Amino acid sequence: MNQQPIVQFQHTTKKIGRKIIVDDLNFDVLAGEVFGFLGPNGAGKTTTIRMMVGLIKISRGDILIKGHSIAREFEKAIRYVGGIVENPDLYKYLTGYQNLKHYARMVSGISKKRINEIVEHVGLKESIHDKVSSYSLGMRQRLGIAQALLHHPPLLILDEPTNGLDPAGIRELRNNLKELAHQEGVAVFVSSHLLSEMQLMCDKIAVLQKGKLVSIENVHEFIAKDSISRVYLEVEASQTELTKMLVADLNKTAVAGNGPSELWIQMNKEEVPELNKLLLDNGIRVLSIHVQERTLEDKFLEMMEEEQ
Amino acid sequence: MIGLISNEMMKIVNRKLTWIILFLLIAITAGSFVMNKLNEEPVSDWRAEQMELMERYQGQLEIDELSPQMYADTENKLQIANYRLQNDIAPVSGNPWSILLRFSGLIEMVIIFAIVIAADVVSREYTSGTIKLLLIRPHSRSKILFSKYISVSLFALGMLALLVITGYCVNAIFYGFGNLSTTDLFLNSEGKVTEMNVFLQTVKMYGLSFLPILSYVTLSFTISTILRNSALAVGISLFIMIVGNSIIEATSYLPGLKYLPFANSDISLYIFHLPARPEMTLGFSLSVLVMYILVLAGLSWQVFKKRDTA
Repeated sequence: MNQQPIVQFQHTTKKIGRKIIVDDLNFDVLAGEVFGFLGPNGAGKTTTIRMMVGLIKISRGDILIKGHSIAREFEKAIRYVGGIVENPDLYKYLTGYQNLKHYARMVSGISKKRINEIVEHVGLKESIHDKVSSYSLGMRQRLGIAQALLHHPPLLILDEPTNGLDPAGIRELRNNLKELAHQEGVAVFVSSHLLSEMQLMCDKIAVLQKGKLVSIENVHEFIAKDSISRVYLEVEASQTELTKMLVADLNKTAVAGNGPSELWIQMNKEEVPELNKLLLDNGIRVLSIHVQERTLEDKFLEMMEEEQ
Repeated sequence: MIGLISNEMMKIVNRKLTWIILFLLIAITAGSFVMNKLNEEPVSDWRAEQMELMERYQGQLEIDELSPQMYADTENKLQIANYRLQNDIAPVSGNPWSILLRFSGLIEMVIIFAIVIAADVVSREYTSGTIKLLLIRPHSRSKILFSKYISVSLFALGMLALLVITGYCVNAIFYGFGNLSTTDLFLNSEGKVTEMNVFLQTVKMYGLSFLPILSYVTLSFTISTILRNSALAVGISLFIMIVGNSIIEATSYLPGLKYLPFANSDISLYIFHLPARPEMTLGFSLSVLVMYILVLAGLSWQVFKKRDTA
């Protein structure tokens, strides 16, 4: 996969009055990756996206899209971008098709065939000639994605794209975005609050907090890094006290779980075989050991707490 | 650019409000001329009628306390009636163009409707949030704003044309197509009674009125661009239009007011020789309007170009 940078943030800063909303961002978004952009409310995610598409001015620094500055060469740079900013706000008094025609007219070289193709692709064929005011939020989201993809942009920016989609729609979108990135080499930049969704969808995660980039990593490394997992243990009910004592020898604490025979321990996954051996050697009848992998959500919330 | 303009036209045309406005425009225009026909009294002897009119005008000039505008108007009419009797020139009757000219007040309706459309064209993009997806296309903001401005201006021009066409058709049904070379008496810019071509005067009246219409379109457009609020844009523009009509009167006392747009936005004052001040000419009024249009359009352009779109 070609991994050239599509977006380059260069000391990107946004100040409103004295307040710094986005503070000195420096990172690249590469072709062929689904890039997740996380952060609590008010962290500056939307401001960053608005700067990326030229809706608001950059106070200091720059953002390059395929090497073109969004501030100084707007028309050149924006050509490579398709996206939805915040909600998929489309013209409600026009039909879905008229909306697409509207956006198609604004870029050269989009044929009728391409419009029909994209309509089919997002699954709106049945209702494309209805007024958008009659659409559900999920349908609007699909139409929003259709207008974003109309001109085959190498960079797709989506702000909360799963909003309003049903589970089947979310899954479809996820597969769609992965396919776009991994097969067609599109850089997909997604911001979302749905952490479980981001975990499934993204290749890389960047976390923004109070306008600053606090972490940027591959999604699996991000979750796994210095991670302590929760190990669930099920033993014979009569042996729980003994188990607790044995665990204490390992300098860990076993906490009573839901059932009388359940315990859980905070520990590294790598230590599990050692624990298992210790228990067996001491005649404990282990019914099950289950390591609960940490989720992006756990990691994210943990990280936010640390920062506080 | 053509693509952008057809986009804006599509957005104007696909709105219910637009169709209500066009319906009202046609209905009110047709209605006015039908009423005119119904209230018409046949004139058997035009000389006797003109004598009668002269007496009435004279009475008005002596007795009533007329505003300067009304006084000048009555004086003009008296002068023309007098000229008719002396030179034996009958008033024009049954010519659709001459009736259209008399009903030039209908142009104010076009102004009001144009204000309403212009007030919406930018602010609506903000209130519905569509501005974001509109601005993230490979077109400069200037081009996008300009295409909107051109579109509302074209739409206003279309409404003016529709007014003329509807008016002409309704009158043509009653009176026939009308002779294009018919002449009638008017006062020229020196205030002397002259015979002029009625059709050309009508064309001049309606044609030149596009400039006042455009200046109100620009005003409403600019306010709505800056405030992003169409209700305020309509309100302020209509207020100025209504107040403006009374300012025309005041201009005769206060010379400085002649540089305000209102005093210059009624072309009929020049067709019927009623300038608010003697030194005001048609050319002066048109130049003042063009200046205001340029300044307002420039203002909305600068604001739209620079603003952060939140």
